[in-house]
Amino acid sequence: MSLGIDSILLTAALDRVIPPVDDFPGAGEMGLSGEVINRCGADFRFSEAIRVVVDLLPAANDFMKLDGEAQDEALRAVELSHPDSFGLWLDVIYTIYYMQPEVHVRLNWHGRSPQPDGNSMPPWDDSVLNVVRARDPFWRKT
Amino acid sequence: MTTTDHNPDRKADVLIIGAGASGAATAASLSEAGFDVVCIEQGHWQDSFNYPTAQPDWELRSMSSWSINPNKRRLPEDYPTNVEDSAVDPVMFNGVGGSTIMWVAHTPRLHPSDFRVKSQDGIADDWPISYEDLEPWYDLNDHVMGCAGISGDPANPPRSERPMPPIPIGRDGELIAGAFDRLGWHWWPSDNYINSTRYGEGRDACNFCGHNMMGCYQRAKASTDLTYWPRAIDQGAELVTGARVRKITLDTTGRATGVNYLDAEGNDKHRSARAVVMAANGIGTPRLLLMSQSSKNPNGLANSSGLVGKNLMFHVFGGASGIFPDHEDPWVGPVANIILSQEFYETDRSRGFLRGYTFQMTRGQGPGAIARGVAGHRTPWGEDHHPVIKRRFRNTLGLGAIGDDLPEEHNSVTLDSHMTDSSGLPAPKINYRVSGNSRALLDHAVAKGTELLKEAGATEILVNPQSRETGWHLLGTARMGDDPERSVVDRNGQAHDVDNLFIVDGSVFVTGGGVNPTPTIQAIALRTADYITNERKDLKT
Repeated sequence: MSLGIDSILLTAALDRVIPPVDDFPGAGEMGLSGEVINRCGADFRFSEAIRVVVDLLPAANDFMKLDGEAQDEALRAVELSHPDSFGLWLDVIYTIYYMQPEVHVRLNWHGRSPQPDGNSMPPWDDSVLNVVRARDPFWRKT
Repeated sequence: MTTTDHNPDRKADVLIIGAGASGAATAASLSEAGFDVVCIEQGHWQDSFNYPTAQPDWELRSMSSWSINPNKRRLPEDYPTNVEDSAVDPVMFNGVGGSTIMWVAHTPRLHPSDFRVKSQDGIADDWPISYEDLEPWYDLNDHVMGCAGISGDPANPPRSERPMPPIPIGRDGELIAGAFDRLGWHWWPSDNYINSTRYGEGRDACNFCGHNMMGCYQRAKASTDLTYWPRAIDQGAELVTGARVRKITLDTTGRATGVNYLDAEGNDKHRSARAVVMAANGIGTPRLLLMSQSSKNPNGLANSSGLVGKNLMFHVFGGASGIFPDHEDPWVGPVANIILSQEFYETDRSRGFLRGYTFQMTRGQGPGAIARGVAGHRTPWGEDHHPVIKRRFRNTLGLGAIGDDLPEEHNSVTLDSHMTDSSGLPAPKINYRVSGNSRALLDHAVAKGTELLKEAGATEILVNPQSRETGWHLLGTARMGDDPERSVVDRNGQAHDVDNLFIVDGSVFVTGGGVNPTPTIQAIALRTADYITNERKDLKT
């Protein structure tokens, strides 16, 4: 679903929101704008949020002509005027970014979903209770 | 999966509304006693193998189709809530199992003092029953749901052995527990309805996956679709899903005759029963009682006291999270039920508030959730983003405080005049303010939580004075009591106004205590079911 969102503008905005780090590209350069638009199209709240944010930013050509600091100013203006929509838009971008396997590698994290593999349950160690077991009961009687 | 009503013309002995924590327990108990039971549930059965935690986009799903908040989830079986005038958003799950599908399964009990708040502290009201009255059904429920825990807690009365040993607290739990020990504050391993060993039919031990809210793929976390419902159905109970009750019907004498409901295709149906049991939670139950108004009951059914929908309690939540740079394995094991502290549970007037709270340790979460916020603080965008994530992800532990939320009549559930659910039925309107007592309680909890996290070695602490999306515990809106002018149901859950109408969910709580309420809700449901079995044989064919 395109939602009528300008992906060039969104790509540039994504690179300001999650910029490059070390030799790792920003969220826009990674090519996430398409996934952001598609995922937003599947949820009414997300699609409203992205529409509000993108509609309030300068048009793509104008935004691209701005230097980075001015692009940040434009984003901050939207954040101030429409904090809820901007916040939800950020949450969606963050969540999609941190779903990417290459980001997991950069975080030095396995990146698996919690299931089905899970983890190992350590053994129960009763000695952890030594201190608190020594305390007298203190619940309030009725 | 939808189960249609195959016996629409058969008059049941007992019709239960809602298939969650309390409805399932009631159905299993009454069907075992030989009652002809039918339950109507607006949601559906869940397939544990389809839970999102086994999918790569699980963190995104937690924001939409698997959100805890029905206003965000927006499934057809959900109903919206108008929260414009509420400081807390109600959260719940609609389906077989109810909110036990989407919970962490932390299962402490109320304290004896929670039943005697008026007598001990001069506020709110006493319950008409005591902790001791409820204890046998607490024990029974622990065995059916499967409780993992350990005896000897000095903050609680002695009790019977849990059927499973405790869930190990892990290295991160030991870090926090050590700080409690050094400060001389109480802590104890959490009681959980999570298997620490194989327990129950087809239910394995927990595999410490690290996120146990959105259903349990492993079936280690108890939910009533896995525990009570198989028993109830084996005993002959009928469960109709995808069906939404819109009204409780009455005869000319004012006794309940059954319900009108919309089936999965939207057809208007009626199902007759000798008794109706409401198990639709502390919002759904008053909503339906108010929707059941008539010329004889213009203010809603069972509402001669005027208290249906009043005294809504959620529990207040706040707390603090700490960053522990040298500790890099949080997020292995249950996310919010590792250890608890009840150092500040009982009233101490020198603290500046009445009643108290439980601390619950919380683990970190996935990177998406950490980016969206730690203790409500969203990770900044722009140049600061990467360094902040680097500090917070895999290094965050927290303490959440769940505070006793005393009943106030202005905190309420009413019917919204405009908003409706997908069937066109009125949505509930929530009015809820955080009281001065609760505010003082949370301020104390944030300060003490910060002190504890510093003691544990946190280098950075983020505080959350009060969480909004934490209305898991829906309590108090059809309270029990001996006085019909001050309560909706009696000590057995029977409506004062309608002798074949019972309420078994969190609505009947008189006060909320400072702990997760599900074991108490289920114990109350089992006790009411035993009352019906033993004292209301007139309801059985």
